[in-house]
Amino acid sequence: MPGDHRRIRGPEESQPPQLYAADEEEAPAARDPTRLRPVYARAGLLSQAKGSAYLEAGGTKVLCAVSGPRQAEGGERGGGPAGSGGEAPAALRGRLLCDFRRAPFAGRRRRAPPGGGEERELALALQEALEPAVRLGRYPRAQLEVSALLLEDGGSALAAALTAAALALADAGVEMYDLVVGCGLSLAPGPAPTWLLDPTRLEEERAAAGLTVALMPVLNQVAGLLGSGEGGLIESWAEAVRLGLEGCQRLYPVLQQSLVRAARRRGAAAQP
Amino acid sequence: MAAGFKTVEPLEYYRRFLKENCRPDGRELGEFRTTTVNIGSISTADGSALVKLGNTTVICGVKAEFAAPPTDAPDKGYVVPNVDLPPLCSSRFRSGPPGEEAQVASQFIADVIENSQIIQKEDLCISPGKLAWVLYCDLICLDYDGNILDACTFALLAALKNVQLPEVTINEETALAEVNLKKKSYLNIRTHPVATSFAVFDDTLLIVDPTGEEEHLATGTLTIVMDEEGKLCCLHKPGGSGLTGAKLQDCMSRAVTTVYFKIHCILEKCMLMCHQHFMKNFKSMA
Repeated sequence: MPGDHRRIRGPEESQPPQLYAADEEEAPAARDPTRLRPVYARAGLLSQAKGSAYLEAGGTKVLCAVSGPRQAEGGERGGGPAGSGGEAPAALRGRLLCDFRRAPFAGRRRRAPPGGGEERELALALQEALEPAVRLGRYPRAQLEVSALLLEDGGSALAAALTAAALALADAGVEMYDLVVGCGLSLAPGPAPTWLLDPTRLEEERAAAGLTVALMPVLNQVAGLLGSGEGGLIESWAEAVRLGLEGCQRLYPVLQQSLVRAARRRGAAAQP
Repeated sequence: MAAGFKTVEPLEYYRRFLKENCRPDGRELGEFRTTTVNIGSISTADGSALVKLGNTTVICGVKAEFAAPPTDAPDKGYVVPNVDLPPLCSSRFRSGPPGEEAQVASQFIADVIENSQIIQKEDLCISPGKLAWVLYCDLICLDYDGNILDACTFALLAALKNVQLPEVTINEETALAEVNLKKKSYLNIRTHPVATSFAVFDDTLLIVDPTGEEEHLATGTLTIVMDEEGKLCCLHKPGGSGLTGAKLQDCMSRAVTTVYFKIHCILEKCMLMCHQHFMKNFKSMA
């Protein structure tokens, strides 16, 4: 970009070669609408972050790191009635600052680094979904920073980022009520529209509507919901949410195991 | 007791180790950390590589696009590097536009590409004056534990070796490009530059491959980039304590052995395994 003097300059504009390619991409194959792709989750892999997690589901690769608690910027705010369990009053509660970044090589088309509105919207969605799960009252006047980096987008990126962020918070030892598990859905267009769980990138691109649900599995409460598109009837959306919640419950044991393994590794490293 | 001493007097703590010619993590003064390379893991990128030097982790993704060649060099393409140090790699970086360290690293990588002629820009030209390739090389640091320049250079080299560009022909009648995504070929990598970083302690002692703490305590740093023919591509010494000519020569000879080690022992083996994997998948698809 011409005005950005902080980065190495390239050409003014460039087009991806796919625009000039002769052949079309094949349509995604038909599949069981409730299948979940196998997930690889690992917590505690970055040395410089307080807590970190890496999640890989199909082609989607997300890395998340948590740092803090640190002194919150923004000055003092007044007191108020204290919360239950010895927590700080509502105005002095801690804050969660979320940052969502997409690597420039993550999608089909390269996206130059200043991400723009979409990344901010997803960061806000992350914050809204994680706040119910974290005991922010136990971190008065402090802020926790959560940064998610999407290395490769293979479909349901926000859901993977949510899960990775919750794992990283748990790995950092932040007090939480429960983990947050995310699941993506998309509505396949056509004569008989069906909701597909955990869509791939191809399915997401051709979808008529998309939905991401975030669930706290043990408490069985929905932490976040983000959807858009032409969905049709209300029952269809309700059906999709139910499907998403089931998917989240199925993912939970894998995440529990990854946290246990990370704790064991930490214990073994601290021993000698 | 040792941990307390380390917090209060970190420099003295280090000096005690350096007197015995070793470092707190057990390495000798001239020893590198374990290097791991993983090539071709990001399928959306045209070429990718992940490099781990001990704890320092850098991932490089290369995306190729079309652009008009620059007006002052109509037969050349572009190689645009960009180093990103996001807040997740270390708590000292804030989110936002690239800070000073990221800009310095980006410029260093650009200099290495230019000086070492790792890719002839003429190779990237498809049709002089009309169409050329742009290779956007985005390096993201995932874990910052010192020696970022070495890791970035190595990741860039590995990723460029992994890049496969589709075949492009210009249709004479319509003057448009036609891309055949099924036929891909590797880039022509002419040289293999490898960086070796040193940290200077107390104006005299040189240690190789400093970790984050060592960089913080050092009085100066030095990075030497050499290619496999023993030619010097780049020397980066941003201020810090001065070095005698003899010390500099010593560093350069050490850099040469590093090049041999990194290229032949690590990169070649990795490329071979990646190629075998690719061929196996190709055969199973056919």
